[in-house]
Amino acid sequence: MSALEGIRVVDLTVWFQGPVAAQHLADFGAEVIHVERPKSGDQGRGVRSIKALPVGDWNQYFLVINRNKKSMALDLKTQAGRDIMYRLIEHSDVFLSNLTSDNLEAWQLTHDKLAAVNSRLVYATTTGYGHYGTTKKPSFDMTVQALTGIMSRLGEPEEPPIYLGMGSGDAYGGLMAAFAILLALHQREATGKGQMIDASLYGAQLFLAAPTLQAYLATGSTRYSRQQSRTAPANPLWNTYPTKDRWVFLCVPNGAEGWKRLCRSLGAAAPATDPRFDTAKKRRENATALVALLDEVLRGQDAAEWLRRWREAGLAASLVANLAELAEDRQAWDNDYLMKTHCDEVSREVTIRGLPVRLSKTPGSVRSLGPELGQDTELILFETLGYSWDEIADLKAKGAIP
Amino acid sequence: MSRALGGLLVVDLTVEFWGSLAGAMLGDFGASVVRIDALGAPEPQRDDEPAPAWNHRAELVHRNKASLAVDLMSERGRDIVRVLASKADVVLTDRPRAQLQTLGFDYESLAALRADLIYARGSGFGPEGPDRDLPALDELAAARTGMMPILPQPGQPPVYPGHGQMYTTIMLAFGIMAALHHRRRTGEGQQVDTSLLAGNMYGASLDLQAFLAIGGERFLHPISRLDAGNPMSGTVYMSEDGLWVTLTMPDTDRWWPEFAPLVGLDVVDPRFDSHEKRCGEHRLEMMRVLEQAFRTRPAAHWRQVFLEKQLSADVIEDYAFPAADPQVYRNRYIVALEHPSLGAVKTLGFPIFMSDSPARLFRTAPCRGQHSFEVLHDVLGYGEDDITALRDEGTIA
Repeated sequence: MSALEGIRVVDLTVWFQGPVAAQHLADFGAEVIHVERPKSGDQGRGVRSIKALPVGDWNQYFLVINRNKKSMALDLKTQAGRDIMYRLIEHSDVFLSNLTSDNLEAWQLTHDKLAAVNSRLVYATTTGYGHYGTTKKPSFDMTVQALTGIMSRLGEPEEPPIYLGMGSGDAYGGLMAAFAILLALHQREATGKGQMIDASLYGAQLFLAAPTLQAYLATGSTRYSRQQSRTAPANPLWNTYPTKDRWVFLCVPNGAEGWKRLCRSLGAAAPATDPRFDTAKKRRENATALVALLDEVLRGQDAAEWLRRWREAGLAASLVANLAELAEDRQAWDNDYLMKTHCDEVSREVTIRGLPVRLSKTPGSVRSLGPELGQDTELILFETLGYSWDEIADLKAKGAIP
Repeated sequence: MSRALGGLLVVDLTVEFWGSLAGAMLGDFGASVVRIDALGAPEPQRDDEPAPAWNHRAELVHRNKASLAVDLMSERGRDIVRVLASKADVVLTDRPRAQLQTLGFDYESLAALRADLIYARGSGFGPEGPDRDLPALDELAAARTGMMPILPQPGQPPVYPGHGQMYTTIMLAFGIMAALHHRRRTGEGQQVDTSLLAGNMYGASLDLQAFLAIGGERFLHPISRLDAGNPMSGTVYMSEDGLWVTLTMPDTDRWWPEFAPLVGLDVVDPRFDSHEKRCGEHRLEMMRVLEQAFRTRPAAHWRQVFLEKQLSADVIEDYAFPAADPQVYRNRYIVALEHPSLGAVKTLGFPIFMSDSPARLFRTAPCRGQHSFEVLHDVLGYGEDDITALRDEGTIA
């Protein structure tokens, strides 16, 4: 049995933030119907590559975000198409969309309209800038991330601001929306009524910045909002360092015990008795000198050697790995954070990002990769919504379905 | 207005920022969250800053919680926590496995007292595998995730972004809700697990998945910002006053007619008159042209014209911007609150909107032990004399 079995979700979303919200629900067994435009479907189907790379042989972007889902092609510009949508809403628990409010209004898919069709419906949106307010402009992950301030604080001073990674904020908004939908479903048990929820890209990304944004709000200090050099850390024992071959991340609290053990691990080059560094306060005040010294000393050995010594000394540290190393990381495989699954498009197993949350008795699963456009349209009409085959032929003639 | 999680009792055995915040997320929606403050054990403090006048981290991650201060070194103290857990719907923790076993707060021990318990634990690296007991530090998980080397410009040190733990926070909350859904229908409780590695990896979703499918050196080393795949998407350019602007217009054909004149280009310029040319043979040339064009006007100008033309582009701000943005306050993403001794302060608010059961600030973060009496008396049914005796002997505070 799956945790969310029996929950039906109408997933009228495109690109990433909306679709991935529904993907979290689908992973735990909700029946998710990705409703798409008949002609070319979700725009995400067209994203086959990024970073000017050659296109891979399978459509990894769309297929992974939309795994475990069905696809229904509906022309919502037609009245007949909208009538199908209303009947689908009658039979569903959740409506999820990241289309613009103008678009939803034009297609008569507003909350008022759908709640009138099904009062138990959870009506979920992932807007750009929030349910309230006047901000009205396009919202893509990076342009909204730019507004939050999270990009401006990363990197060395004078370097360009840094984007947290492709779709990093969308991924968070999607996760927030999935959580919010479950909150509303929970509440529905008590009230018998659905409600409206929104997890915006702006709101999610501000929360994503919490560790430093909260400190900035409290103190107003640019220490939290502007770029800080790694050569001037608050704690020089908790910092990135270059070694002879690779970068490492050293995470040692700035106390007497950590300092003693670190110095011992450094061997002959140890600055243990250097009077500039012999108390935590001095190490903090002379951080730049200490970073320079450690840069020099650590360049004397390979990362593997330092990590071995620090493990023996009981000090926390890690290689700064690259994506190729992550792809081979046993820890990621053992916990199903990476998985293999069959891909019909290329008739072989492919590697995908897996299941970040584990439920011991009702675990998530990847049962299929993303659907072909409209592959389930007729079956949903017939089996779930009770249309006859004659009616289905008529809907085709009217252009409501392809 | 109702509470989405009204009636839900959560025992919060967390110690980390991201773990405690998951408890606050449940409290925001009306769950009764009882935080266990271990007597005599200070909060883990690792960044050596002088303590601020206002503990703003605690204010965020412990809001909407009650605090029960207990001596976990005493058997009697641990028993109090176990009895509380036996009455709880959810136990939430981010403590190491060995410590939970020693305290008798592991899943097996607590599920023996309450079979349908939902036991959620966040760790550093997941419940399986050789590194499952490494410390739960976001820095270690981020270092392992593979993004740090490719975030900066070429030749720059790797960058620790610090946000990976925030995915883990919501994953814990999401997992708890999924488990509650299952319990409601079947009566069955279970364990919920996630980790900082899971959070960091999920945050890297699109880069990671593209690498897994396509591979290649371009994912392993930083790419210069002037060597982007699409000059009009995912790019940053400096404006005249030193502020940066960023563009996300992946389908360039759609935006080109409005965009080209803004940067002084002819829509029919034969170098750039198709998506293929802009992102293909004339890609680098176009980036050089844009680099010069954006430097001719200040950021405020660019914001104005982007807005007028409704382009997908904006100015890269710092935290001062959201801290003053009316849109942020209108949606309660940041809220102002009255602090008893500091007056008006700002704190992060609520990222989720719910029309009928919105998140609320029911109470600010408690002092340690502020609700010990209330929890023992009202939830566990202790008499006043018993509570006084426990306090006198130092089991609670």
